[in-house]
Amino acid sequence: MAEFTLDCLGEACPIPLMKTEKKLEGLAVGDILIVSIDHSCAMKNIPEWARKQGHNVEIDEVDDGEWEVVIEKTK
Amino acid sequence: MNRREKKVEQYDVVIIGGGAAGLTAGIYCGRARLKTLLIEKSLVGGLATYTNEIENYPGFPDGATGTDLMNLFQKQAKRFGVTFKLTDVKGVHLEGETKVVETFRTDYHAKVVIVASGGKPRLTGAKGEDAYLYDKGISFCATCDAAANTGKTVLVVGSGDAAIEEGMFLTKFADKVIVSVMHDTGVMDCNEIAKNQALSNPKMEFLWNTMVEEFRGGERLNSVALRNVKTGEITDVTVDSCFLFIGYLPNTEIFKGQLDMNRAGYLLVNERMETNLPGVFGAGDVCDKFLKQVATAVGDGAIAGYSAERYIAESEIVERQILCDGKPKAVYIWNAVQPECRALLPVFEQLEQECADCLDVVRVDVYKSKGIARRLDVCEAPCTVIVKDGKVEQRISGCGITKECILEAIR
Repeated sequence: MAEFTLDCLGEACPIPLMKTEKKLEGLAVGDILIVSIDHSCAMKNIPEWARKQGHNVEIDEVDDGEWEVVIEKTK
Repeated sequence: MNRREKKVEQYDVVIIGGGAAGLTAGIYCGRARLKTLLIEKSLVGGLATYTNEIENYPGFPDGATGTDLMNLFQKQAKRFGVTFKLTDVKGVHLEGETKVVETFRTDYHAKVVIVASGGKPRLTGAKGEDAYLYDKGISFCATCDAAANTGKTVLVVGSGDAAIEEGMFLTKFADKVIVSVMHDTGVMDCNEIAKNQALSNPKMEFLWNTMVEEFRGGERLNSVALRNVKTGEITDVTVDSCFLFIGYLPNTEIFKGQLDMNRAGYLLVNERMETNLPGVFGAGDVCDKFLKQVATAVGDGAIAGYSAERYIAESEIVERQILCDGKPKAVYIWNAVQPECRALLPVFEQLEQECADCLDVVRVDVYKSKGIARRLDVCEAPCTVIVKDGKVEQRISGCGITKECILEAIR
């Protein structure tokens, strides 16, 4: 149940999503991945993808136009 | 699944749902200086963002897109200090003084919960539907998925405002938009303007008296089998995507067993947006109501936000001035417009002057709000409630209220 971070600031879609998919693959069930993004379309496609996979997702707006997508790997 | 220690955060108000109703409730709560959290499971704006043009929301004579309008709502809520959290609510405990709203990482404790969770698209229930939802070919949002259908053939199911307007929007991208309507030729549920525009749109084709029988395909949707409701004849229509616009269902699963709802699952609320539980309010499309529009959701949200503020203010009076330790209390529940209530006021003035060392007098005018009286289980004024050590000892009603009997009750 470790916590990992992934910095995707300054990166445009679909790179943050691809990086997230890859990073999550290597994590264990119960681990948490925090992805930092500032590209608003990643705020849509990362959570959408993660929810479809059945993971728990939460988005925090940490600053104006900057978000953290928190994903708990559930399977 | 959750082995992790959960965080606990305290709020005055937690609003579930970030559509027009939730955002408006947020504006009212934030402006009343309540510490307010709004939880939205996908993106802020709700159902309104699925409509491309909103022409009937007052104050926007040139119309506005749903997304733009909702962004303005959110901006205004943020200005009043509302905190936003984009995540799913996993469960709620709404009974009792402190309400708990659970997300996967945090338990939010609140004095008031406003349920503005709206609805979700209704499905046809036809064979094969589950296999092709969302990115596999069945969509519910033309605004979201229209561009992906550039140069393609799509099927729209339904004939309401959403179906026809979204269908017309799709013609800007798709080569052909086939509309399946269950009614007779020329009969549609949408407004007349949209209907006439749609019927004269060369890219739109209508299949009357049809319903979806089956969704077919491989990995992705290839075709939709439509059944003629009159003849029973099945027609296989080859399409690239299918858009369903056949109504909405309320998002109320997590409230079942706690909040009263009608058979379809819509919340039952009164004119103050109160549910069956004190401190829990409903607003917007999730409620059983006559008209579901941005304008009516805004009205609901305003009432719910105001009710929340009233409820919290009254809770504080009850907690700090009535059901608290210290001297015994004589709580006079009266109605300023009733002469018989006013006639008894001198009794309490006298008590206040003569017996200040042995009791506190609290006056509650039910003309302004019945909330506090309701909490003390008093339904009629005049009534005096005697409170000792934070507990209701006795209720003296009507003409039985005298200085002597109050002093007797205190002893």
